[in-house]
Order: sequence, then structure tokens, then C-alpha cells
Amino acid sequence: METNFTSDTQSAIRVTNLSKHFDDFVAADDINFEVSAGEIFGFLGPNGAGKSTTIKMLCGLIKPTTGYAFVGGYNVEQKPEKVKEIIGYMSQKFSLYEDLSVEENINFFGGVYGLRDQHLIERKKWILKMAELMGREKTLTRDLAGGWKQRLAIGCAILHKPKIVFLDEPTAGVDPISRRNFWDLIYSLAEDGITIFVTTHYLDEAEHCHRIGLIMNGKIKAIGSPTLLKNNLRAFEIYEVHCNQPIEAMELLTQQSWVKETSMFGMAIHISTSSGIERRQTIKQTLESSGIQINRIDLITPSLEDVFIHYTTESVGSG
Amino acid sequence: MRIIRELIIKEFLQIRRDKRMLPIIFTLPILQIIILGYAATLDIKNIGLLICDLDKSYMSREFVSQFVTSGHFTLWGDVENPKQIDTHLDRSEVTLAIIIPRDFSKNILLGRQADIALLADGADANTANISLSYAVQIISRYSKNILIKNSIGPSILTPTISAEPRVWFNPDLRSANFMVPGVIALVLLIITMTLTSVAIVREKEIGTLEQLLVTPIKPSQLIIGKITPYVVIGFIDTALVLSIAVTWFDIPIKGSVILLFGLSALFILTTLGLGILISTISRTQQQAMMTAQFFVFFPFIFLSGFTFPIDNMPWIIQQVTYLIPLRYFLEIIRGLVLKGAGLEILWIQSLALFLFGVVILSVSIFRFKKILK
Amino acid sequence: MSLSFNILPIVQKEFRQIRRDVRGLLLLLLMPAFLLIMVGYALNFDVKHISLGICNEDKSQASTRFIESFKHSEYFNISKYIDNRRDIDELLEEGKILAAIIIPNDFSDKIYSGREGVVQIIIDGANANTAATALGHIKSAVQNYSTKILTHELTKQGIIFTIPVNPQARLWYNPELKSSRFLIPGLFGMILMLVAVVSTSLSIVREKEQGTMEQIMVSPLKSHEIIIGKTIPYLLISLIATTFVLIMSAVMFDVKIEGSIFLFYLATILFLLGALGQGLLISTFAKTQSVAFIVSVLSSLLPTFLLSGFIFPVKNMPWLLQVITHIIPAKYYLVAVRSVMVKGVEITAFWEQLVFLLIFCSLILGISTARMHKDISR
Repeated sequence: METNFTSDTQSAIRVTNLSKHFDDFVAADDINFEVSAGEIFGFLGPNGAGKSTTIKMLCGLIKPTTGYAFVGGYNVEQKPEKVKEIIGYMSQKFSLYEDLSVEENINFFGGVYGLRDQHLIERKKWILKMAELMGREKTLTRDLAGGWKQRLAIGCAILHKPKIVFLDEPTAGVDPISRRNFWDLIYSLAEDGITIFVTTHYLDEAEHCHRIGLIMNGKIKAIGSPTLLKNNLRAFEIYEVHCNQPIEAMELLTQQSWVKETSMFGMAIHISTSSGIERRQTIKQTLESSGIQINRIDLITPSLEDVFIHYTTESVGSG
Repeated sequence: MRIIRELIIKEFLQIRRDKRMLPIIFTLPILQIIILGYAATLDIKNIGLLICDLDKSYMSREFVSQFVTSGHFTLWGDVENPKQIDTHLDRSEVTLAIIIPRDFSKNILLGRQADIALLADGADANTANISLSYAVQIISRYSKNILIKNSIGPSILTPTISAEPRVWFNPDLRSANFMVPGVIALVLLIITMTLTSVAIVREKEIGTLEQLLVTPIKPSQLIIGKITPYVVIGFIDTALVLSIAVTWFDIPIKGSVILLFGLSALFILTTLGLGILISTISRTQQQAMMTAQFFVFFPFIFLSGFTFPIDNMPWIIQQVTYLIPLRYFLEIIRGLVLKGAGLEILWIQSLALFLFGVVILSVSIFRFKKILK
Repeated sequence: MSLSFNILPIVQKEFRQIRRDVRGLLLLLLMPAFLLIMVGYALNFDVKHISLGICNEDKSQASTRFIESFKHSEYFNISKYIDNRRDIDELLEEGKILAAIIIPNDFSDKIYSGREGVVQIIIDGANANTAATALGHIKSAVQNYSTKILTHELTKQGIIFTIPVNPQARLWYNPELKSSRFLIPGLFGMILMLVAVVSTSLSIVREKEQGTMEQIMVSPLKSHEIIIGKTIPYLLISLIATTFVLIMSAVMFDVKIEGSIFLFYLATILFLLGALGQGLLISTFAKTQSVAFIVSVLSSLLPTFLLSGFIFPVKNMPWLLQVITHIIPAKYYLVAVRSVMVKGVEITAFWEQLVFLLIFCSLILGISTARMHKDISR
């Protein structure tokens, strides 16, 4: 069995039958997946789905109840010290020392990772440039705005050029422009061959990932590239309806037997139906018979949000 | 070694930047030594004395003057009527009232016995006890002198015994000499136990502990890096308190200062252990401080002999005090500073302290490591 | 000062939170009991069983009789007979004896020739209070024995006499001179101060930290209403803790209220209001719970423990410290409570204390209301 291997050179991260129980609560339930080197892997799920628990098991912060995880080829439980040398980790709380200055934080984490002399100076320069903090080395971290703080935090997490970077909700509470810059940074890291494992509950961010794992109630529901996941929904047809009374229209459509799901997207309604039958005419008739005026009906490709809602309602239905 | 150095530098930077820390590290010890040196005094001087002299004779006035010249009593006032005494005792204005009966001088001159009533405010048992003992001594000396004077004759023998006291280690019987060395123990306890536990829990609270745990830092490096700064500060404070004790309170250190620091290190094993232990059971800084305050500080202060002598406690509580490491350190520090005792006398206490330190520290490090994993 | 019913929700909310915080509630109720037991049993100043070393260089009948007189007293324990007076040093250093009595070799000669025999007492002065008390006991014992041999000798010589002065001591309020009767009322001050100041300041600063205080501030409640709503629960809890300690001290230590229960609670409520005000005041400038905790403990516990007369009599402190004690409310509360509990006297004996407590609590509640008002209007 694979448990006997302490190393695995195939993939950056490999997780087999990983579970974590807190008393009666199952935070992670028999999770399996693989992430290859240089990939940006997104872990998508609502709050409390088990994202942080999984990431903490991968970093060796908590022990799994059953199953095992290989990170960078090392079994996390057996060789935690090897794993720690090759990973970077940044949590949603930006865990820097608020009462240390920018430079002192870099020096400290650099020292902890064993960077010294010229090497440390180079990396420091790189991070200050990357985080646009040149000239603010002496500023206390607590006085930095959210976006800068976040970039400094990731800077400190990748100071030692880790092979794999774990980011736990890295953009929570950060403004849209900073988020944009942040993802640019992630891409450039991935181009350098660094594997990125990122958890998020922002759907637009998940679109940026090479592959996504969708986690709900501790279980992986779906895994694959964003396009693949969307295509999986092809068993359904999704129509987008623009009309003058969207709320009434949604109520009315929900009652129809051929409608699987309805949801609001801004002022438009998304209706999913089983595939194969063209429903545009049926929708039109149903609504117009109740005096609702239709502006447009389009057959659309499902977005990640559709995927997300599909699996959420499914798990609510089954749970 | 490098990682530990980085951790220590980081901790010192944080201490320097925390505005609350400097007062705790430097002002608090000075404040404690001054307050405990001056306020924590049980010396009984200037006992308030109320006189109700019904005799109003030369002899009764001379009797009263015996109290004033003894140095223990201060004449607060006098009343005409014994009934007035109540009010003054009720209002705690005086500790002792003396009623000299109308026939006092007459009885003495006639060779009869004169009764003197002493009324003491027993609410403060300690003061009342000592005041009464002073008063009775003064009276019996007075009485004896009259007896001898009346019995003077060529062939009459009047043997007496007098006591010539000599007080060692603290000739002026100053409370400060007893309290001030104890402050060293108190300061070490606060700095090395409370500050260490709070410093660890703070990292837990803000999430940096988690950040450190994904780095290659080993738990032992983390512990050493975390506690070393507070040990250093603890020793600086010990030196600070010692120099104030010597220069300001004129308390000579009779024993070896090097031994004092060495044995302080033994005590620090215990306090650090307790600090780490507290950090493992507390989630917030506030919980850590409360736990330190109520479950360590109070029992330590009350049951170590810090202010209250262990010899006076009930037997069962005396047994409990053997479990309080501070007890041994206080014995060491007082013996060393006041009596000049060395290791040949203090080895038992030192051994006990060492054992406590090793056990507590190992348990706490074991727990800490378990929590990290 | 008008009150609306709006404060009721605050009171209810506060009680719910207190009830949910099991650890905190236990601390509020168990702490007092814990302190009471410790102080009640462990703290006392009674010096008994003083361990004596005897160095009898005289070795005569007179000296042996003199030593005998120390044997049957609960104050002394002869733990060592010393042959050489040089050994006394070491025994004192090791703490094996507290005092040594040296009877010099001319002792019996002097006694038999009717002169004064001088014995030397060497005492370990490290603990000044114990030493002073012990020395007092030893001196009294020597004097008693001295009187005894004098009267014995005079009687033997056929002289008729009486002891001229006979002191008759009467102890008021506390005839058995139990330390606990003195210390337990002081403990009330310390416990109340701790519970009230720490819990009020922490509860408000916690709301500040969590941002719920802002929510209350934007409601139409006036600042004094907020203050009343926040203090009532802690006032009640502190009163419950007081009653609890009162019952325990009666049962365990036989320390009861000798005077009026009404006056006891009056003084307690006045003192508590001041303490709650102090907690409120701390909360108006402390930003975090840890700062609030440190300031609360330092500003309440330290003065109450050291400067109120709880253990260390104010009268013996240096002048400057005595002046400072005048602004410590616990000092006044202690005098009042000792008057009611131990002495059982009427209000006429201590009304000034109550007046001061009233002034202190109105002053501090006024200042904290004003400061909180400023916080809201800003």
C-alpha cells in the first residue's frame, strides 16, 4: 500500500482518504485529490465547508483522524519538518507581527527560514518591490492598509522560495484593485513553477484557478478545471430571462414541473431545465399568460455560480 | 541557534514597542519595593493611649509617665469619666485605655494592692496583643520597683532577674528588612510567569503562532526563544531591586550575590514552567492573566510566608505550604540576604526548588509540545 | 434624571451573558470562598510555640528552676539545649530556633546575694513582627519569674508585703483575640473591590472590542441609562457574593455581624457603587481587555491590600503614605465594616466613613458618566 511510502515524486500534493473528526463533528470526510506541480488549485466552498481544516492538515498544523497527505513528495505526518521547509502558508488573518516594522517582519521570517546575508538582502528587495513597500521599511505593520498588509504577508510566506504555497482565504476583506494585483502575483508565481493551493469563497477568484475542488459539508463534490465543471452541468439547459416582474416570474416558474432550479442573477433569472428539449417557447408562454412582459430569453453557458448553486441545492436536498 | 536568536530579537523588539511593557518591567518593581518597604509594616509604635485618672495624685501622674517614656505609647488624651471611654474605643481612636482608681496612691502608700483597669480594643488582635504585653510589662516593672523600695533594709535580699535582649540579623526590628527581599521573589514571579504566559497566548490570539508552526522552527527552539528575553529581564529586575534595597533601604546583603542569582535561576525554572503551563490552558491573554492572578498569585502570596509566618498556621495548612515553591525561595532569599547563609544551610530548600522546577517545567513543555502537534 | 424602561433590555442582556460565561461566573462566586478559606485559616499573627534554645552556663539550681518556668507555657517550645554559646549563630542561621536564652555563670551568685541576675536573649530579628511579639513574650516570662523569686525571697525573710499594682486587662470586641475577626471584614473590601472593578471594566471593554458598544451608543439610550443598565447586574452579583461570604464566615469562623445588618449592607452598597464607578472609569480609557484587566487589578487590589489597613495598620505608615490612604475608599469601608461586624456599634461611631463613601461614589460615578457622555457625543 501507498502508506508505506514516505515520499512520492509524482505530484505536488496528493491526498488520500483524508478525514478529520472533531468529537461528533466531521470537518473533512474522506477527501481525495491530487495537485500537480506549478498548478493553481482552488478550494471552493461556503464558510464552514472544511476548507481551513483541510489546509491545516496539509500544512501539518493539525493531525488527520484517518487518511494521509503527501506534500512535495513527503508524508506530512511522518516528515513534518521536511514539509515545512518547502511550503509557505498564509492564513486569512494576515499573521504578521503588527508591532514590528515591515523590515523587522521580513528579517524575522527570513531568519526563521535560515536566509542570511546577501540572500536575505536580495529577497527583501524583491518582496519590498513586489509589495510596493519600497521606502516604507520602517513603517509599523499595524499602520499599513489592508492590501499592503496582505502583500507583505504573502511576501513573508514566500521569502524562502517554497515549492508549494498554501493560501487560506487570502483576499478576505481586501479591496477589488488589491485583489486584482494579488492574482497577478499568483500567476507570476505559478509561472515560476510554484504550486499554489488557495481556498476561497469568491467565485470570480475561482475562475482564475487552473483546477477547482468544490467542497461542501466536508466532502469533495466535484473536481476539475472551471470549464470542465461548467460543462458537467451540460446535463441541464440554463436560460437567462430578462422581464419586467422578475420576482413574480421566478415564483411562477419555480412551480413548473419541468423546472429544476431557479435563481436570481442581478435583475435576470436563471432557470435550469433538463437538457434535450428547447424550452424557450414554453417559458415565454407561461410568463406571458400571467401578464409578465419578457424582454429577452437566452440559452446560456453555465457560470461557476450556477455550478456552485447546483451543488449547494443538491447537498441541501440530500442533507 | 540562529533561529533562537531571531526569535529573541523579535521578542525584544516587541517588548520595546509595547508602551505598557516598560512600566511593568521597570516601574512596577520599584513601586512594589517602595510600597512593601514602607506600607507593609506591622511594627507597632505610637499606640494610642487614653487615660482616665480618677486619683489625680502625684503618684498616678508619675505612673502614667512610665507609659509615655517607654516609647511604645502616645498619650492620645484623657477623660474624666470611665463611661466616656466607650466612645473613643468604638471610634477606634485609641487602642488602650487605662483607668486609675480613686484610691490608687492611697492603697500603694498603705502597702495595699491597687487595681488598674486596662481596656484594649481587641478588634485588631495583633495590635491589642502586643499593646497589652507592653503595658503589663511596664506595670509589673513599676510594681517591682515599689516593692523593692519599700523593702529596703540592711539585711533584706531583693533578688531579681532582668533580660538583656540582642536582636540579630535585623537589630532595629524593621519590617522593611523582612519584606524587601521578598519583593525580588514577587518581581521574578510577575515577570517570568505572567509575562511569559501572556506573550505566548498573544501569539495564539493573533494567529502568528500558527504562522510560526508552519516554519521549520522546532518546539524547543520556540520555547527557548520565547522565554529567554523574560529571563534576562527577570535578572535585570532582580539586580534593580537588590540595588534599591541596599542603597535606599540600607539592607546589607550578607550572603553571596552570585549565589543569590544562581538560586534565583532555580526559582525561574518553576515560574517559567508555570507560565508555559498557563499559556497552554488559556485561549486569551485575559484568561492567562486571570489564571495567573487567582490560581498562582494568591496562594503563593498567602501560603509562602511572604507576609504571614508559616509557623503560626494550622498544621494542615502548614503541610500545604510545602507544595508552594515560593516558600523555599523566600527562605533562601531571606536567609541569604539577612543572615548571610550559604549553600551549606540552604541546600535543602535549593534541592526542593530544583525538583519543583524540573517537574513543573517538564510537564509544561510536554503539554506545550502536545498542543503544538 | 429620568429613566425609561429601555434599560431593562440591557440588564437582561448582561445577565444572560454572565450566565453563559460559566468560567467567569464560577470565578465570581468561587473566588471569594477560596480567599475566605485561605485568609481565615492561613493568616494570623498569633505567635505561639516559639522555639527556644537554652544555653545554661550557670548549671545551678536557680538556673534550672528558671528554665523550668519556660516549660509549661504554650508560648514556648524548648527545642535545643546548647552547650557552647558559639553554636547559637548557626542554629539561628539555619532557622532551627527563633531565640536563645543565655544564662551566664554568675547568674546564681547574683540571685543568692540579692542582686540582679542578667540573662541574655538573642533573637532572630529577620521577621520584625514575629521577633517583636516573641521578645515581648520572653520578657514577660522573665519578669514574671523575677517577681516570683522576689516575693518568694521576701516571704522567706519574713517581710509582709503585697504586690503594689495589679493590672486587670479587659479586651473589648474580641476577647479571644482571634486574628480572623480582624481580617475577615477586611477581606470583604478586597473581594468586593476585585469582583466589582474587574468585572465591570472588562464587560464594557469587551463590548467596545466587539463593536457592540457602538450599537448601544447609537440607540436612543442616554449615557446614565447605559451606565445603570450595565452596573445593576454586577451590583447584584457582588451583593450575592457578599452574602455568600457572610454566611461562610459565620459558619466556618464564627465571625458574625454584631451590629445592624442594615448598616452593613448600606456601607457595602455605597462602597460597591464606588467600585463599579471605578470600573466604568477604567473602561472609558482602556481600549483592550488586557489593559482594562491590568489597570483594574493594580488600581483596586494593590491599594485595598496594602493601604487600607486590611493587614497593615495605617497608623504605623510613614506620613506621606498615610496621606495617600485618605483617598482609598476601602480604608473607610473597612473602618465602617469592622465597626458594624466586630464592634457592633451604632452609626454615630462611624457615620463619617459612610459620608466619605457617599462622596467618593457620587464623584466617581459622576466623572465616569461625563466621560461616557463625551464618548457618545463625539
